[in-house]
Amino acid sequence: MQIMIVGGGEVGSYLADLLLQQGHQIVIIELREGAISALQRAAPRARCIHGNGTDPSLLERAGVRSVDLVAAVTGVDETNLVITSLARLVFNVPRAVARINNPHHSWMFIPEMGVDMALNQADVLAHLVAQDLA
Amino acid sequence: MRVLILGCSRIGTGLAHRLALDGHTVTVIEPSMAGLAHLPSSFTGRKLLGQVLDRRILQEAAIEQQDALAAVTPSDDTNVVAARLARLVFHVPRVVARLYSPGAAEIYQRLGIQTVCTTTWGINRIAELLSYSELEPVVSLGSNVDMLDMRLPQLLVGRPVSTLTRPGELQVVAISRDGKTFLPHTETRFEADDLLHLVVVGGAIDQLLALLRQ
Repeated sequence: MQIMIVGGGEVGSYLADLLLQQGHQIVIIELREGAISALQRAAPRARCIHGNGTDPSLLERAGVRSVDLVAAVTGVDETNLVITSLARLVFNVPRAVARINNPHHSWMFIPEMGVDMALNQADVLAHLVAQDLA
Repeated sequence: MRVLILGCSRIGTGLAHRLALDGHTVTVIEPSMAGLAHLPSSFTGRKLLGQVLDRRILQEAAIEQQDALAAVTPSDDTNVVAARLARLVFHVPRVVARLYSPGAAEIYQRLGIQTVCTTTWGINRIAELLSYSELEPVVSLGSNVDMLDMRLPQLLVGRPVSTLTRPGELQVVAISRDGKTFLPHTETRFEADDLLHLVVVGGAIDQLLALLRQ
């Protein structure tokens, strides 16, 4: 599969590495220029692009129209939602997944915002801890 | 009208103040005390301290009962997301998002979000003011369409209105003559001392000037 990851921080680069090992083709978009070289080291076979993943023209240049899935995993929830909305609703990407940073924001990650699946790290962790204590 | 304003930057403050003065019921949500402090002491609306995308705060602001919402925080992403959610989840009938970043307005329009890009607006406005000082804009009808008044140049006396018509770009909407103003048709002929009221698209200003210099 062709997968576009927006956000090349720790989550994005780990995800890229994992998916590359499974044989997928990866393109990563990262806003911070300084993070690009670390990203290239972490996922050497990924195509790394420096730029703003909420910029529609950058998404197009990065080939968003031909990917099978977009993963919006930046550290900003609003940014992730703009990316999923653009990917699913404007560029007709078949599937989009998003990272939820602030658990209070989970209500916004709905299909109408282009989100097929959202992962809420803090929520998962909190529930695991709560279960463990029970 | 009940209006909810998200963000209390310069635009948010000014907008809240102005709408309250106009008699609207205004509620402002702003995450910082310093931001809320921008509002003048005379502001009669409601002030809520909190994150603009916190569902509990939005409900406390009675978002579902609002007639309109303006998302004017400093973050384009926040504004776009807030505007879309206001429509989809809370069914606010009229929603506008302010953007800094130019170029995406058309795409957001496709997502059902009405946007105002202050950057684009400012660029167009300044460029126009710099480039066609001979013509005084009277009203700006959006970021790139202006209404302007122009005294009829001598060389156009006796010519039909169609001389100054470019479909989609330039139109004479009214003529003031002998103390009366009327709406012309394309065959109406200009007379000396006519005051023309024109609507012009920004890009057509050069053509208009070229026509006038012929």
